[in-house]
Amino acid sequence: MDKHDSTIYSKFNPYEDLQQGLTSEKLDVYRKSVLDTLKSPGMILRQKRDTLALGAMCALPYPQVSDRARRLIEDEVICLISEGAAPYHPRYVAPDYQKLLSLGSEFLELAPATDLYEATAHLLTAYYYLPSEPVFLGRIDHLLEPFIDTVDEDTAAHVLRSFWLMADRLNPSAFSHANIGPQETKVGRLLLTIDRKLKTLTNLTLRYHPDITSDSFALQAVANTLEVTKPYFLNHQAMTEAWGDNYVTASCYNTMRLGGGIYTLVRYNFKEALAQSDGTISDYVDRVIPETVERLVEVVNSRIRYLVEETGWFETNFWVQEGFLVRDRFTAYAGVYGLAEAVNGLMANAGRPDARYGSDPVANELAERIVVRFGEELAKHPGAYCEGKNGQITYHAQVGISSDIDVTPGTRIPTGEEPDLYAHLATEALLHRAIDGGISTILEFDQTAKENPEAVLDIIRAAHEMGIRTLSIGSANSEFIRVSGWLIRRSDLDRAKDEKALRHSSSYLAAGFFDTKPIHLHRIERKV
Amino acid sequence: MLPDWPCVFRTSLSYNGAAGSALKGMRSVGTRSRDEALRNESNEPAIGFVNKVLSQSFVDGPGNRAVVFLQGCNFNCLYCHNPYMINLCNHCSQCVSHCPEGALIFKDGLVAWNPEACIECDACIQACPHNSSPQVRRTNPHDLWLEIEPFAPFLSGVTVSGGEAMQQAQFVRDFFTEVKAQSNLNTLIQTNGDVPREDLEELLPVTDWFMVDLKAFDPAAHRELTGSENERVMDTIRFLARHKKLFQVRQVVVPGFNDSEAEAKQTAGFLMTIDPAIDLLFLRFRSHGTRGIAEAWETPGNEVMASMVAAAEEAGLDQVHRSI
Ligand code: SF4
Ligand code: SF4
Repeated sequence: MDKHDSTIYSKFNPYEDLQQGLTSEKLDVYRKSVLDTLKSPGMILRQKRDTLALGAMCALPYPQVSDRARRLIEDEVICLISEGAAPYHPRYVAPDYQKLLSLGSEFLELAPATDLYEATAHLLTAYYYLPSEPVFLGRIDHLLEPFIDTVDEDTAAHVLRSFWLMADRLNPSAFSHANIGPQETKVGRLLLTIDRKLKTLTNLTLRYHPDITSDSFALQAVANTLEVTKPYFLNHQAMTEAWGDNYVTASCYNTMRLGGGIYTLVRYNFKEALAQSDGTISDYVDRVIPETVERLVEVVNSRIRYLVEETGWFETNFWVQEGFLVRDRFTAYAGVYGLAEAVNGLMANAGRPDARYGSDPVANELAERIVVRFGEELAKHPGAYCEGKNGQITYHAQVGISSDIDVTPGTRIPTGEEPDLYAHLATEALLHRAIDGGISTILEFDQTAKENPEAVLDIIRAAHEMGIRTLSIGSANSEFIRVSGWLIRRSDLDRAKDEKALRHSSSYLAAGFFDTKPIHLHRIERKV
Repeated sequence: MLPDWPCVFRTSLSYNGAAGSALKGMRSVGTRSRDEALRNESNEPAIGFVNKVLSQSFVDGPGNRAVVFLQGCNFNCLYCHNPYMINLCNHCSQCVSHCPEGALIFKDGLVAWNPEACIECDACIQACPHNSSPQVRRTNPHDLWLEIEPFAPFLSGVTVSGGEAMQQAQFVRDFFTEVKAQSNLNTLIQTNGDVPREDLEELLPVTDWFMVDLKAFDPAAHRELTGSENERVMDTIRFLARHKKLFQVRQVVVPGFNDSEAEAKQTAGFLMTIDPAIDLLFLRFRSHGTRGIAEAWETPGNEVMASMVAAAEEAGLDQVHRSI
């Protein structure tokens, strides 16, 4: 069957049509899809409503794009990531909650907050009325520190705990994200203590700067991440260089300006772009990337224009009217993924199937060349209404969605193929330098790290210095750990594995010292 | 003709030619006169016998550290975790035929190891009847630093371990001098403490801290565990504490030898006479890496470890920890 027949194209709903929207021939399929949602036993009411709303929107045609762009969408080089046909609100927003706390809101009928109770209640109210998915909960320490002394210490801890719990339960999603740091604050300290106990899904990022963040605060954060895989360690210095002081981290690890946001995220699949080339490196890098990036920009801009010019979103909601969101602080994302497969495919075509991204220096160089070239091409084309990033669409390493199969998130080295720690960081650092709109590397340490958080901080500092932007750190539950003075040899490891096989015991190596896919990582993978 | 192997190999071959014969037949470097092979009277930097360099360790001192394992030890502990590091190779050549990769060559009475061909199967180590290894490199302080330099930004410091690091005191001193000249890294020596005083004195200026293993306070248990007396170990602890260079005293808790509360109290009591602020770490014995009877020993459980800590704290020590 012809892949270009969009009726059979699987990434869209069966009734969707890029050009025409819902047609009379597909009404039955559409009704069935609505009915299936209504009857779905696994969804709560809110989820059903959201799905129905998305379905209604997808009955419309998508914003007009050229034939060439449409073919790239159908070929899965450009991916619309189920944002739907008609973007009627920005994908991400990062409101200036501080303004809301200090001025109150006319629309929400809230007076300025005067104490910790009011400040947290205002925030929870604000989250409820957010004009897009609740991906950004604020720089919590900046927001609440001015109120922390309005109540006694115990009460402060109690109020903050309730706030943090409710923020999570109202939006139980790892895409909700709060920021702390770089300064140590009472609120930051308390929040870490609370977060470690509550183990919520809500994401947390520490904006880390070795000259500003105190060591003891950073070490508390390290201890936390080894228990609950957050906060993430964000390279504050590198981020301010790219965005100025007023940037935030939202959703997975996405960077945007405070008081602004991201209109839309359109994904670009390096792996599928390979099929557009003649298979050679030069054709891929020098022809396919420039040509397809231009079309990607076309698609992104068509969606931004629709949102800004057609829907009236920026004229009609209180977030903009009251100045909590400002249109010219917005930009959009071009989110890349599948780099590893593209690099390995190109190396194989060049007669080097053994040269894998992550372990081979030539493959690593190619990875960097591809990533840098993509960024250069992206920078050549203006993004519509993208004043929030100097008129440009923002370069982002996209983490992947559940339907991605056999394709590595963002620009990561595939799990299990990572070289040793330092080489892993050095390789990915080059790409972090080139991508300033959100990119992360996952590290995992064994249990000995918990006894020596300074060691983890040593590694974080060096990684940031090399250019790594976001680090997500967890710990593996392995019993097979190095004892001081003992040199683990490869034969020791092999023996441990043999014994494991003999005993059929899953607890001996647990997740495995050097084994590649610790169970723990699934949690991280899912959310970062 | 020897194949054209990389220069590491040639270096190790030349080491075998130069020093190998002097060491032939020795039980361990600890039994020979210190001046004989390692101490050199000229201004040339000393040469070290390096078993392995680890680029990352979280368990050998503060922060993330590189660890250099030096070959050779003067103890012979029942539970040695690196038994193949106890002795220098005596070139008996028994391991050579066990190598499946042809990475070992016996020529002119000397065994040479080719790291490029080695697959780290450790068949040679298993075959060696002398608690040694042919996989040892001979290197100078500067070259050793060059191995560590690329990952120095990730490190807090460098730890020298072994074997017994202080068996190659001159080399360690020259190496640490190089580390201090080239970086801001701190330096730490892991030692069993059975060390001549003058060696410690020589190391003080370039060493930030020492970690001393006190295998057992009870002299009989120490003798049984290590084959040596512990008097000099205690002297070393006193000396280092006085010079504010004692990072930590460690004791591996071994069931049946030193796992009683009484032992913990005595150890702590001894440290109390020096300084109540001395950091004491009880490490759980683990059988990984051990040989012989220790392979069958149990790992002490949480209760034992907790009671050791409690007993040492009761004796008055402020800083008592235990490993996970
Ligand atoms: S470990 Fe020993 S036996 Fe195995 S390949 Fe290397 S030298 Fe040969
Ligand atoms: S490593 Fe052991 S077996 Fe091999 S030559 Fe040296 S002493 Fe003999």
